[in-house]
Amino acid sequence: MTTLHLPEYARTDLEGMAHAGYPSETCGLLVGQQTNDHVEVSRVVQARNLNRERAHDRYELDPQDFIAADKQACDEGLEIVGVWHSHPDHSAQPSETDRESAWEGWSYLIVAVKHDGVHDLRCWRLASERFVEECIEPCPR
Amino acid sequence: MSTVTVRIPTPLRPLTAGADTVRVEGETIDDVLKTLGTTHAGLLERIINPQGELRGFVNIYLGSDNVRALDGLATSVSDDDVVSIVPAVAGGAARDRRLCELRAAIPEVTPTDAVQLQKQGAAVLDVREPDEILPGSPVGAYRLGRGYLELRVEDVIPDMNRTVLVMCSGGTRSLFAAEALVRLGYQDVRSVVGGFARWKNDGQPFEIPRVLDASARERYSRHLLMPEVGERGQLQLIDSKVLLVGAGGLGSPAAFYLAAAGIGTLGVVDDDVVDRSNLQRQILHTEARVGTSKVASARETLEALNPTINVVGYKTRLDSSNVDEIFTGYNVVVDGSDNFPTRYLVNDACVKLNIPNVHGAVYRFEGQVSVFWPAWKERRGPCYRCLYPEPPPAEMAPSCAEAGVLGILPGVIGLLQAVETIKIVLAVGDLLIGRMLYYDALRAQFTEFKFDANAECSYCGEGATFPGYVDYEQLCSASNT
Repeated sequence: MTTLHLPEYARTDLEGMAHAGYPSETCGLLVGQQTNDHVEVSRVVQARNLNRERAHDRYELDPQDFIAADKQACDEGLEIVGVWHSHPDHSAQPSETDRESAWEGWSYLIVAVKHDGVHDLRCWRLASERFVEECIEPCPR
Repeated sequence: MSTVTVRIPTPLRPLTAGADTVRVEGETIDDVLKTLGTTHAGLLERIINPQGELRGFVNIYLGSDNVRALDGLATSVSDDDVVSIVPAVAGGAARDRRLCELRAAIPEVTPTDAVQLQKQGAAVLDVREPDEILPGSPVGAYRLGRGYLELRVEDVIPDMNRTVLVMCSGGTRSLFAAEALVRLGYQDVRSVVGGFARWKNDGQPFEIPRVLDASARERYSRHLLMPEVGERGQLQLIDSKVLLVGAGGLGSPAAFYLAAAGIGTLGVVDDDVVDRSNLQRQILHTEARVGTSKVASARETLEALNPTINVVGYKTRLDSSNVDEIFTGYNVVVDGSDNFPTRYLVNDACVKLNIPNVHGAVYRFEGQVSVFWPAWKERRGPCYRCLYPEPPPAEMAPSCAEAGVLGILPGVIGLLQAVETIKIVLAVGDLLIGRMLYYDALRAQFTEFKFDANAECSYCGEGATFPGYVDYEQLCSASNT
């Protein structure tokens, strides 16, 4: 089982972005480093959600934001290690849509958010077309 | 041949030994990807499908442009271009989860099973919107758009224990609709899997439903809101043919409202011309039309109110030689005559032709209304002759011209006749059959008198053979004005 190391400041940023975007789904990328079973998040980046029509229950991350974040991460010797998105008024369980669009090798962090704030934060990783939950730990090794 | 830099996204880096960029030669994006595929096994398959097209969940960017917006895989490249493989990053929460939950909660049936259940008494409820059902809807289905479902379904399917099979176009909306029905208290609600698309593909029976066009929908919107009328009832009104005997005091208000209600064919029999003294009560006519034919005047007014209806004028005096021809084909006759010869003729023809006869009569401050219909399916009704076998002597039967009438009074009675007419067409409510409603305007009272069919009636009595029309013209002096 892989472990996602999410520093407190990154978690605070993430919760702030998810809550600010409520009731729309917000999305972005996790930048950091990945070694074997450990994913270390250095920062979370917000991206634009191109799916405006159904922003309450869908997201489609702007590829331009991806390219920019990927380039910056490379320049810093980091990489994109995963994707985060919010589930307004829903649990932090991945949906079938999430599964169909997922790539192996990335962490998928889901933020369950309601009007009064973030209620849950869980992380998933695709393995043989199934999502397996990752352990989230607050501090890097 | 150009050399470009290809940026590899993290999920594909295991295939490039961890490298985030790879230098590749080629002239087009297609060349570059194929070369990449030969040098890095397994990579091309993640990007290109077996048909050689770019997979849906990946985008290729040349600099900051998506190649889908350029020439696709044929887009040419130049030295030192940066080609980025950008995974589509997408997902979403709600609907899928809701659908999974709904599928777990709402039983689904195939169209084949639905047809069987329908034969056993289940209701098929098509919740698609009016414009969606134009190409077809299951035979015998109730059609109630999703928008008004909760408001109206109990009028359409009052029995909460009846199995309800909800159908939409593809089988998704029907799940939401079914859930709403369960919340309303329906005990056995199922969703037709695949919706009408599959229903049709599976060869299950459907029909092209007749529906109102947008203009009619707007015109009759207040009728459509009523469960007793609705679209089905409005189409019945449009399909119906009502004959008004007389375009006078009773015929005017009745015709006016029947036209407004959308009675599709309104026949008007009258041989008279508009007289200024008519205008005190005969509201179809106008000062400008004094001296012109009442039938033509009626047509002008009615068509101005509702140009979608068909007004058929008969500028003739009704008599025994033309009554059969004129009455045949009409669903209801509204008797607005105020003389006995015509009243008996109308009665006798209606008995002979099995047409309901909506009777009205006025005298100064009093009026009466009834429906004579011996052939009514619910129960045998009396005819006018069951009540009055023979006309009174002329001196006891004054016409309006002789006795006078409060102008509004035929308005009240004519509209009661119109109401009974609409009820007959829609087959709703309790008709004024075997009942005479008297209106006394001075007392402001309605009184009802019951009377039975006369088994010995020479016209409608059991086993009676039609004795023929009687010309009472010589017996009565009353005129038809």
